[in-house]
Amino acid sequence: MKNLALACAAMMALLASRVSAAPIELGASVQLTGQFANTGRYYGDAYQFAVEKINAAGGVKVGNTREKLNLKILDNQSDVNLSVRQYVQLVTQDKVNFLLGPFASDFVLADSAIAEKYNVPMIQGGGASDQIFSRGYKYIFGTLPPASDYFDSTLDLMGQLKPPPATLALLYADDAFDVSVADGTRKDASKTKLKIVVDQRYSSKASDFNSILSLIKSQNVDAILVAGHETEVLNFIRQAKTLNVNPKLYSFTVGVPSADFRAALGQDANYAFGMSSWVPSAALKDEYFGNAEQFANEYKKRFGYEPDYHAASAVADVQAFVKAIESANSIDPVKVRDAIAKVDFDSLYGRVRFNSAGQINLPQTVVQVQKGKLVPIYGPKGMLEQPLYPMPEWSKR
Amino acid sequence: MQLLWQILVNGVLLGGLYALMALGLVLVWGVLNIVNLAHGALIMLGAYACYYLFTGLGWDPFAALPVAMVLLFCLGYVIQRYVLNLIIRAPMFNTLLITFGFEVVITYLAQIAFSADFRTINPSYAGANFSFLGATVPLVRLLAFAVALALTLGLWLFLEHTRIGRAIRATAQNLIAARLYGVNPRHLYALTFGIGAALAGAAGTLYGVVSQINPYIGSGLTGKSFAIAIIGGLDKSIYVLAGGLFLGIVEAVTALYIGPTYTDVVSFGILVLVLIVRPTGLLGRTA
Amino acid sequence: MKFSTKLALAGVGIALLATVPWWGSAVLVQFGINALILATLAQSWNIIGGYTGYPSFGNSVFYGLGGYGVAIAMVQYGLPFPVGLAIGIGLAVGFAILLGLPVLRLRGHYFAIATLGLAEVMTAIVSNLEIAGRNVGLILPLVKGDVLFFELSLILLVVTTLAVMWISRSRFGFGLIAIRENEQAAAVMGVNTTLYKILAFALCSVFAAVAGGIHAYWITYLDPGSAFDVALNVKMIIMAVFGGPGTIFGPVLGAFVLSAISEILAAKVTSLASIFFGIVIVAAIVFMPRGFADLVRRFRQSGWRYFQENIRTYRV
Repeated sequence: MKNLALACAAMMALLASRVSAAPIELGASVQLTGQFANTGRYYGDAYQFAVEKINAAGGVKVGNTREKLNLKILDNQSDVNLSVRQYVQLVTQDKVNFLLGPFASDFVLADSAIAEKYNVPMIQGGGASDQIFSRGYKYIFGTLPPASDYFDSTLDLMGQLKPPPATLALLYADDAFDVSVADGTRKDASKTKLKIVVDQRYSSKASDFNSILSLIKSQNVDAILVAGHETEVLNFIRQAKTLNVNPKLYSFTVGVPSADFRAALGQDANYAFGMSSWVPSAALKDEYFGNAEQFANEYKKRFGYEPDYHAASAVADVQAFVKAIESANSIDPVKVRDAIAKVDFDSLYGRVRFNSAGQINLPQTVVQVQKGKLVPIYGPKGMLEQPLYPMPEWSKR
Repeated sequence: MQLLWQILVNGVLLGGLYALMALGLVLVWGVLNIVNLAHGALIMLGAYACYYLFTGLGWDPFAALPVAMVLLFCLGYVIQRYVLNLIIRAPMFNTLLITFGFEVVITYLAQIAFSADFRTINPSYAGANFSFLGATVPLVRLLAFAVALALTLGLWLFLEHTRIGRAIRATAQNLIAARLYGVNPRHLYALTFGIGAALAGAAGTLYGVVSQINPYIGSGLTGKSFAIAIIGGLDKSIYVLAGGLFLGIVEAVTALYIGPTYTDVVSFGILVLVLIVRPTGLLGRTA
Repeated sequence: MKFSTKLALAGVGIALLATVPWWGSAVLVQFGINALILATLAQSWNIIGGYTGYPSFGNSVFYGLGGYGVAIAMVQYGLPFPVGLAIGIGLAVGFAILLGLPVLRLRGHYFAIATLGLAEVMTAIVSNLEIAGRNVGLILPLVKGDVLFFELSLILLVVTTLAVMWISRSRFGFGLIAIRENEQAAAVMGVNTTLYKILAFALCSVFAAVAGGIHAYWITYLDPGSAFDVALNVKMIIMAVFGGPGTIFGPVLGAFVLSAISEILAAKVTSLASIFFGIVIVAAIVFMPRGFADLVRRFRQSGWRYFQENIRTYRV
């Protein structure tokens, strides 16, 4: 009898919770196929993973109830125009409450206009270009640090090396993100003793760097900084080897932190510098995943590949919404938008808070590939490990 | 001066590979009057074929090259025989459209089969280089250049001196007469397209060794091959070689003296100029 | 059916379409704008490709120039939208005349390749121009409300189709058709082939440019890749060919049908949409190379044998 009553009570409670639970809808259009799918998948998978973890922990507290998160992901096939249309669909037809962003500044630039147009907050972790945040839009937030600051910590590190590099070659692809990086780097480098002797913009679709490399070699440049995409950086390193170009140091905005990039290059990846706004360290504590290291392990087990800062930043996006909704105690877009602007919490990605333009500010940790492993070298608190500098010549490795 | 010399060496080596890329396109265009917009996709497939032979079976890419060629030959034969043969007498413009359709389908299927991850073919000697009169010459590029030259010569010999080659040329010139001589055009057309695809496969293998592979490299390579085909001329394989070398050198020099973002402007600009001024190519016979 | 009946039907159709923004969902309006713009492009291609028989692979240049005219005018100089459109049209027509002169001397596939090359050159040139934002592109001011764009696109399509209708009944049009059928004979008979070809090219550039301007303003974003997209060229050609080149309503029909199918696929089974496009092209070229209009006409007579006959006509 008691058991039956208990069972009834449980059923009623269950029914009651089901009846009152209206899941909070999140929508995103991500590059799951197409030429950016290589990085786009980090976002799709990470959004999924975060939503699952948050739901398993009970969901989001709004008013007196806990609501689950519902995620709808569309594949934009790496086509900007399609992603714009999909965001409109998500807002107007699927009636999602909030938007998560795609990868790549070009996409974010176009898609954020939809968020602004329909007054639906979008948090994205895929676009860092300054242009995104200089339009005065109120409904777009970003968890990637400003593009123009990407090489700052690298430049700092270079000032501390012995003997410090004197000449610099700055190469950048001609897309929104990399142009922003180059503009910022040029400005910051002018404050140091470095002399920029090669300053070349190259086409995003380029695969042949022989001419640039030959120029760099003829000028005997000490340090090379490259702002580009993974495929370009890969080509660059391989061609630097075949043309026997031996700078003292080279650093890249992308590629180095990704495991499959290092695997593709094998031994040739050694000595390359890169940066990451995130390292999977146990020191980064998280409410849902424990800490960043645990997250990385679970992610790898779940999806079969290691996460990098793209994935971590995507998780931060979802968590930021949760925190904002709970803080606003509502799912009204205007209230949540204001709450997002004020969030400040620690997560596996680091400290999440947005400046007045809507962008996060996280320092970049300089990393280097040493003997096949990714080693954090220089962080906001100074040297973490000794860098291997200068880079030995190709023939001597 | 030293720098210019290095740039020229870069350009020549690149040019050889370019020429090989365009060779298959030119053969099919000249003989079948088919402008194959899927040519780059075939190059991409050749690169993947070599990649899987290299990583899966451990074969050296230059050893895998003939196998990749055979695989692509079969694919090309089937495409021509069972699809393209059906529209071969339609306005030539239809072949442009249908091969574009193929390009979309092949790229999509490749992305499903191979994933969008970029791949590299990295044999142990990939970084080797040596010095030649002050310029650094990467070994793989030199080997690719040699293979490209060999295949160009091989194609020429094939077309001039073998029975099948002569039959192909005859069919191109006069279908009715060729038929009277017992040539089966269905088979011969398929054969020609197959050879074109095989050459694309070879180019893909070499491309995979000097650059990186992903399912989307096709359309860019088709464009390049076009420019080379038009600039050089469609009549003989040696013209294609000249066109390839010309483009390789022009691109290398442009990248240095004008800027790396201007190479496409120059390549396609020359393409348009050549078409306007001398449509049979810089070397071709005036119509 | 009689032409006047077709016209009446079209009139009703247009009136209906014009009301869509008021009762249709936002997604339908979105789809509508895209389909209308594509239909305009297909129709403008019809002028040079369908009627004149010069298959241009470079109409995306006019589209892109229209878009950039609007973008540069509004973003760099703060000029209003109509002025931007005018600039875009000016650029496109100028391009059509200047480059049309040498390029229209080429025949058949050489013309197609040359226009394809032009599209690539323009992409490369614009991605180097600072005023156009190089490869990063330009962000246009945001306008809330799609009604404006829907009605503009509809008006544009109507105007373009009226132009094609006028062409089909005018001496100019007969001259174009004569050029298509046998250019040398046309010249011998006194048709000023060069003038007519340039005019056709310039006319189609106007409509493509306006389409590009509207699209750029609507999407609020423009970069060389999307403005001069080669795939867009093929899309408009396929739609025109699928619908029926050289007819008045064929390209419009083709554009709407193909857009609808593509959009449905993209929404439901996103991954299939791109391969669908490729398969449609292959199948259409093999089985119905003369277009949908021809299919409808002849199907009555031959039934399923229509497809077989097509193959027999064109195969080895």
